[in-house]
Amino acid sequence: MLIDGLSLLLLIAGMIFFLAGTLGVLRFPDVYTRLHALTKADNVGLGLIVAALALQAPAWAVVGKLILVWLLVLVASTLSCHLVARTAQRRGVTPWQ
Amino acid sequence: MTLVYLGGALFLLLTLVAGLWRVLRGPTAADRMLAAQLFGTTAVACLLLLAEADRAPALRDVALVFALLAVVAVVTFVRRNWRAAGEDLDAD
Amino acid sequence: MRQSAVYEQPRARVMTRVKRVLLFALLWWLLTEGRAEAWGMGAVLVVAAALLSVSLAPPVAWSLPGALRFVPYFIWRSLVGGVDVARRALSPARPLQPAVIEYPLRLALPRSRLFMAGVISLLPGTLCTEIVDDKLWVHLLDRRGDFQRDLGILEQKVAGLFRDENRPEEG
Repeated sequence: MLIDGLSLLLLIAGMIFFLAGTLGVLRFPDVYTRLHALTKADNVGLGLIVAALALQAPAWAVVGKLILVWLLVLVASTLSCHLVARTAQRRGVTPWQ
Repeated sequence: MTLVYLGGALFLLLTLVAGLWRVLRGPTAADRMLAAQLFGTTAVACLLLLAEADRAPALRDVALVFALLAVVAVVTFVRRNWRAAGEDLDAD
Repeated sequence: MRQSAVYEQPRARVMTRVKRVLLFALLWWLLTEGRAEAWGMGAVLVVAAALLSVSLAPPVAWSLPGALRFVPYFIWRSLVGGVDVARRALSPARPLQPAVIEYPLRLALPRSRLFMAGVISLLPGTLCTEIVDDKLWVHLLDRRGDFQRDLGILEQKVAGLFRDENRPEEG
């Protein structure tokens, strides 16, 4: 099945991004660089997983719901990324050079 | 595909557990707050995979509520724990 | 809260509510995954929520052509941003050269400024840490690159999306 193959590829790619996000959180030197890794990699990862599932969705409404979930997570993580970075800065956490 | 979805969900759980190390380690409070974000995104992805694997559409609703709550949780957490003196986080 | 200074034409008021009802009907359709039997209760809830939402969140000016230009740009750039950071996280050498720069904002509306601050965090190598007066503080993952230009392009797209004047507010 072509669709199944495409879904599988998207899922694997999504997993790689989630793995990269976690590795970034573990390996990067300060809170700012860790935020970069987490926010960007996990959102692409979730986007790819949503795309993989959307290909298998039984109805258009389900596709829409999956996209809605992804958009909500985008809002939550960009907001939290900005708030955490901003609070770290105000608390005087100096960026790693 | 069911096995693939279950495997994917398990893999995501493992990355989540690895991320816990950062929560324990810190070193700053900001590093621990960052973990809340990690949990939110990964949990939503897990739930979406499980909804498909179990043919349980209700889990998609759980993912949706998680995503909604993540927005509220983040703002509340930052406001309560890390409010800078005299500053309003809504001001820009 | 409705702004009393702006007089709404009756026709515009009706159109605002019609659009909201359609938007909430779409949301209900997504939430119920298209189940027909959910529309009995749904019809009442959709209309009630739509009418309530008009006073809780008054309509915001935006532009459809602006959105059509913004969305593909955003999807492409956030994909590039994800690939870039994933490459750095997976690479054994962990190449990073962080820096913090200031970016002078031209956007005037608070919502477009906040929107830009959020979107920056998904684009390649940039993260907004603070908005001070008319400047954004941007943390860079790697200082090599023309970030003033990249941020300028993003700012233009955001201005187009929200019909922002793209210049500092006066008074």
